[in-house]
Amino acid sequence: MATKDKYSVLLPTYNERRNLPIITWLLERTFTANNLDWELIIIDDGSPDGTQDIAKQLITAYNTKSQQRIVLKPRAGKLGLGTAYVHGLQFAKGNFVIIMDADFSHHPKFLPKMIALQKEGNYDIVTGTRYAGDGGVYGWDLKRKLVSRGANLFADTVLRPGVSDLTGSFRLYKKDVLQKVITSTESKGYSFQMEMMVRAKAMGFKVAEVPISFVDRVYGDSKLGGEEIAEYLKGVLNLWMKV
Amino acid sequence: MTRAQQTLSIGLLVASVYMVAFLGLAPLPAKIQDDIIPVLPIWAIVSFGAYLLFKLGYGVATFNDVPEAHQELMREIQEARADLQKKGVEVD
Repeated sequence: MATKDKYSVLLPTYNERRNLPIITWLLERTFTANNLDWELIIIDDGSPDGTQDIAKQLITAYNTKSQQRIVLKPRAGKLGLGTAYVHGLQFAKGNFVIIMDADFSHHPKFLPKMIALQKEGNYDIVTGTRYAGDGGVYGWDLKRKLVSRGANLFADTVLRPGVSDLTGSFRLYKKDVLQKVITSTESKGYSFQMEMMVRAKAMGFKVAEVPISFVDRVYGDSKLGGEEIAEYLKGVLNLWMKV
Repeated sequence: MTRAQQTLSIGLLVASVYMVAFLGLAPLPAKIQDDIIPVLPIWAIVSFGAYLLFKLGYGVATFNDVPEAHQELMREIQEARADLQKKGVEVD
């Protein structure tokens, strides 16, 4: 290989005291087993549950003098997902950036597949999809599946983005691609991930997909209320007009 | 060009073509002019609606369930907790 690839994982956290050590363990195991150079940047938004203490314990456990694998870059309070990525990106030393959730819904075991696919086609972005191939979910009742598919169908019809899972947030980016896309993104919350993908496609970046299994809510509850759905619909229409 | 501009432009184009046919401005065989053109819009809307409904139903029916992934994850969590505790990390 001519250049050494390094993968920076950006992990925004808020009250992830229970999930953080496990996800770190899974990441370390996956990267080591596949002989990949990696780092984990934890962007904690002032969690009151002691997430940062756990992060510091992980740093002691995993970092060596020569390899600072885990980095903690906290912020004073809940300042939003988009800005968390921008903040973390400043410290990313890798040429590739991975964004994912800390709650195991995005399992690190899919990273080698995403990385291999990226190399195959020199893709700018590789995104995980729950809807295509042998992707899937666990423990979702009919209502949740209906809402999920319905929402995706709505976004797909209105925006015709060319990706099967628009709201997914398990993605591998080339670092400069992420930088370009994130500076042009304006939405907050739910719509943020959608806007990033729609803008990326509009900018002409090459995107590939890897089916993933999405096992969420191991610890904790989900709440999908009418308000969230309304927000989502507004978000899609907003993107329809802006991008 | 935004998605909205694109959709509306195509919509306008289709509407204009249809208006030409509807107003009888283009020479069309009588059968098409009288039987098909007038109902074309409603037919198109209903067909599109049916297509979307089919896509939705098919999508829900083929939505994969992955219980093995869940079991695998539970096992990994156990393994991780043991390993992490050895390394001095608190795991609740």
